Amino acid sequence: MSLLQVDRLSVRYPGQAMPALHQVSLTLGKQDLLVALGPSGCGKSTLLGVLAGFIKPTAGDVLFGGQPVKAPGVERAVVFQNDGLLPWLNVADNVAFGLKLQGVPRAARERLVAENLQLVGLADAGQRQVWELSGGMRQRVGIARALASRSQVLLMDEPFGALDAFTREQMQQLLLQVWRQSERGVFLITHDIEEALFLATELIVLSPGPGRIIERIRPVFGQRHLAGEPVRAIKSDPEFIELRETLLAQLVRARQEEAVA
Amino acid sequence: MSVQEQTWDGDELPADKPRRRSLPSVTLKPAHWALISVASVVALWWLVGAAGWVPALFLPPPQDVARKLLTLTTSGYMDATLQQHLLASLQRMALALAAAVVIGVPLGVIIGVYPLARHLLDPLIEFYRPLPPLAYLPLIVIWCGIGEGSKVLLILLAILAPVLLATVHGVASVSPLRQQVALTLGASRRQLLWHVILPGALPDILTGIRIGLGAGWSTLVAAELVAATRGLGFMIQSAAQFLATDVVLAGIIVIALVAFAMELALRALQRRLTPWHGKAH
Repeated sequence: MSLLQVDRLSVRYPGQAMPALHQVSLTLGKQDLLVALGPSGCGKSTLLGVLAGFIKPTAGDVLFGGQPVKAPGVERAVVFQNDGLLPWLNVADNVAFGLKLQGVPRAARERLVAENLQLVGLADAGQRQVWELSGGMRQRVGIARALASRSQVLLMDEPFGALDAFTREQMQQLLLQVWRQSERGVFLITHDIEEALFLATELIVLSPGPGRIIERIRPVFGQRHLAGEPVRAIKSDPEFIELRETLLAQLVRARQEEAVA
Repeated sequence: MSVQEQTWDGDELPADKPRRRSLPSVTLKPAHWALISVASVVALWWLVGAAGWVPALFLPPPQDVARKLLTLTTSGYMDATLQQHLLASLQRMALALAAAVVIGVPLGVIIGVYPLARHLLDPLIEFYRPLPPLAYLPLIVIWCGIGEGSKVLLILLAILAPVLLATVHGVASVSPLRQQVALTLGASRRQLLWHVILPGALPDILTGIRIGLGAGWSTLVAAELVAATRGLGFMIQSAAQFLATDVVLAGIIVIALVAFAMELALRALQRRLTPWHGKAH
């Protein structure tokens, strides 16, 4: 069943001739890990902003559970590259923040916080201060917070973009685990081709000028990892590499066409 | 083999150049340096008097001022002890500070959140902010009389501007990302204000209060020009009229010490309330 439905979405910012997004359509279901891949300026952040309810569409429909998306809502949690954590709250209170706002009783709050911190591997870090944590750990807290709230989909805005390569790979694996266990749809944007291929159950490639979908594929590498294949084995698999190079070539070609046009 | 290795003649090591003698590495704590600097000034002050370079009428030596400080606490000056003068000034400062925070913080939040409020109030604030308090003191006296209210009002106006502007700045610099995240977690506008914007602006608000207190102290003497019978500012003023330079100096030292103590207390408060401030994020 699809949770989010986007039908011929276009966004044009005031005063700009070129639309940021042009006729973008997609669906996101409970079992999906949909990744939008593209260079900067391709409109992927705009797309995420529309799904989150921060940006109003110029044309087209954005539906969540059949209802038009008009504003931010708890069913669509956001995880940013810069975690957006609140430094005056400790880790547990940050995770509980949304629950508290929503008036969830204390006992249920504590249970959800413990559960989700466990899920992201931070079971013992609840009392730590977020400004003492590493970037990767902060990102885990951000994910736990998004999961703890009553979200049904996670919208992730380049969540691992600011992390070093090792931590990023760890977090990719963590995300796959969390996605499978939490049974939530994930929409993730990235400019990292490997990351997109490794994570996505459905991958859309966006190209700038105007931002539009130029390719849709359904990679299976994430499922292979969840079935037990090690991450390095997958990423060095000739099949993986070939797909990576094809996508890269496509992005380069799209950019050249844009430069000519 | 590299060229360098071939041409290097092992016997002709570059002789140790006579290194320039660096200052002896003294490892003193910052507090020690501060103490040295203060002690030097006091020593110089004493020397100037002892050598007879400056008559005691203009610059009474430190020991006289210290003695005066003691007698001020017992027999007082102008019908009040030093403690009573200090208490009077502190009461005015406390009232003015409380009022400045009660007015300045909410107003600053409104200006920071609503652009319309900013457009409306910005010119008024920028009009009054650079005015020297002594310039509008006569107006305050004409409008509000010579009572306690006028004195507090003058100090209040001096504290208000920094508190207000710091709050506006603090609110405006709260990360939009945090606000967006809070919205997706179900925050209402009110919750956004209480749980994201105000705590986020707190470091700036505290800095504003620190700066405001400094401005308040510097206005204290002007405020107590107006028909006061007590207060450190009043004590200094009237002592000056009788050329009681030792009392003037004693008053200055007390004001400096109290202001410094407050600054330290506020810095400690800031570290306690906003330990994340200045750390990453």
